[in-house]
Amino acid sequence: MNVQKIFREQRAVIVEGWINAVYSTYPLQTTGFLRTKNDPFTNPVGDMTKEAAGLIYDVIAGEHVTPQKIKHALDRFVRLRAVQQYTPSQGLGVFFLMKPLLREHILPLCREKEDLAEYLDAESRLDSVTLLAFDLYSAARETLAETRIAEIRNQHAQLVRWAQSVDGSPVSGKS
Amino acid sequence: MAKLPTPQELIASRPEFPSEPWLDIKPQFAPGSFCYPAKKETMELLHMPNPHDWDPAAEDWNLPENWEQILCDAFEERLQKHRSLKLFMDICVRCGACADKCHFFLGTNDPKNMPVLRAELLRSLYRRDYTKLGKILGKRAGARSWDKEVVKELFYYAYQCTECRRCSLFCPYGIDTAEITAIVRELLHEVGLGIHWIMDPVKNCNVTGNHLGIQPHSFVEIVEMLADDCETITGIRPKTPFNEKGHEILFITPSGDVFADPGIYTFMGYLMLFHELDLDYTFSTYASEGGNFGSFTTFNMAKKLNAKMYAEARRLGAKWILGGECGHMWRVINQYMDTYNGPAPETMGTPVSPITGTVFKNALSTKMVHITEFTADLIKHNKLNLDPSRNDHIITTFHDSCNPARAMGLLEEPRAILKAVCNNFVEMPEQTIREQTFCCGAGSGLNTEEIMELRMRSGMPRGNALRYVQEKYGVNHMACVCAIDRATLPPLANYWAPGVTVSGVHELVANALVMKGECKRTMDLRQEDLPGVQEDE
Repeated sequence: MNVQKIFREQRAVIVEGWINAVYSTYPLQTTGFLRTKNDPFTNPVGDMTKEAAGLIYDVIAGEHVTPQKIKHALDRFVRLRAVQQYTPSQGLGVFFLMKPLLREHILPLCREKEDLAEYLDAESRLDSVTLLAFDLYSAARETLAETRIAEIRNQHAQLVRWAQSVDGSPVSGKS
Repeated sequence: MAKLPTPQELIASRPEFPSEPWLDIKPQFAPGSFCYPAKKETMELLHMPNPHDWDPAAEDWNLPENWEQILCDAFEERLQKHRSLKLFMDICVRCGACADKCHFFLGTNDPKNMPVLRAELLRSLYRRDYTKLGKILGKRAGARSWDKEVVKELFYYAYQCTECRRCSLFCPYGIDTAEITAIVRELLHEVGLGIHWIMDPVKNCNVTGNHLGIQPHSFVEIVEMLADDCETITGIRPKTPFNEKGHEILFITPSGDVFADPGIYTFMGYLMLFHELDLDYTFSTYASEGGNFGSFTTFNMAKKLNAKMYAEARRLGAKWILGGECGHMWRVINQYMDTYNGPAPETMGTPVSPITGTVFKNALSTKMVHITEFTADLIKHNKLNLDPSRNDHIITTFHDSCNPARAMGLLEEPRAILKAVCNNFVEMPEQTIREQTFCCGAGSGLNTEEIMELRMRSGMPRGNALRYVQEKYGVNHMACVCAIDRATLPPLANYWAPGVTVSGVHELVANALVMKGECKRTMDLRQEDLPGVQEDE
């Protein structure tokens, strides 16, 4: 229980630290806006990042978070990273930016309590979250590729249907 | 042993403070962030200046030899011609009110996508030649000189602006950043730089009438095919009058709705509504593209393509023009048509609804009425027999398309219609609708598949608001009044709010419309079964 207490006490500082670490992947001139505006609709990147930060931390701290809730928060955040101008490693690697924060703020306290096993479990949970995010990232990229194909098809849907009818073959009821 | 970089080095590698000023950081032309260039032969056919082969990803864009002179002269000419441009160059105080209002900025976090800084790309060039401080102090006064990298940068950011004008709404001076983007695109066209997705439809609209360049007879056959589909659904085959003289109304809508899913269902909605009203109207194969692709290139091209509307109304003897659900078409009609090609032919008159007698005084000058104005008026006068329960399987929201919302104030009419034809209507959050609506992210000619990633970034604020109402209220449908929206919102919804379908308003109208003598409806316009309705034995 002691370790859980440590995690709870350090929550604010680590969550904020991670949010800032994510923001530091964006150009400096834009981070002031991300940090200071709280409206979820006019600052969606900030909102997605904050939502993900809190829940990821709770998951790795071993708090009870339903799979739907974590998946939801991860999904929004990962979809965003998947279409921003990053390499896949830059897009997803932000999860690993939590490790230095954990090692700075939590590891020394766990070492004092001589309870490293629970600390290592928490780091492993972060790895699991990253793997889950990897699945979501891949799915998002696949959606993107499929969308390109569907769009090309849809743009000319009636034209293809008409062309098929020209040689006398029956026109399908639905395009 | 080789030293691997740490995750921090791989991910957050930017320095604490940028080593260069923002203006000096140049964009990377990575695949997915730029549109394909227009073909040389397309540009030649359209008599565009300096047509040439070039590749945005290449180092050398093969600009004409005297490119700098061409651009400086072209800029000078536009400053003389548009007093507004000169004002927009001079009066910005860089207060930053617009900075975070752009969907491209919100999605990309690129400082040069702040409208103020995007405009600054041109303004810095203006300062060098047109302000005393700029002439004397140069860079210290925010001035800079033209070079080839600047041209590339202008291209990159002029095609990361959908001319949606959300930023203008928040500008205390009312600077219309969309017009600055339009001017930058004009300048780029002077040195032969345009994009394929815009110039190809411009060529097609110019030559054959519709954006795909389909010959008139084939165009008519496709529309007849859609009329056949209406018959399959309702048992009634609507009329498809084409190029007929002597009708009261000429109907013009984007040709995308004839070719593309799901726009075709909106088009079928028009056919069914007009048939039910026994409307005295005709289509035209010549003026068969309402959406003005020219408006994405130059004012002259917009004027040229727009001219077909009045020319065809005069030729066919129509009294007024009814316009379909479209975005940019309506900006051109409301803001430019009068000065482009007005006054309207003397054979035309102030539009009057033949069904209700309503005089559309708002269209006194242009003689053009938006279809949602027309239909909302019908519904207000109780002229349509509607069964909204046929749309009970959907919970719909409404996406205000930028141009109808911000350029013509069309806010209430589509909502009035939706509330009459659907029992379940939910608004998205107020800071994302009406005048403050977030763009679909792919307007102004950016609806091309090679920049799908960019579109998902720029459409993210809209997708985010949509996802919110999807989760909170179970919204599973989004209606809109723009053909580009109908093309671009399905991918956007599929990415940001999977499970939400997209349609035009008149698809839902036709679903609910009880036509005289129709058979029992068992399917909607998409030929999908209506829930809870059984076919008679």
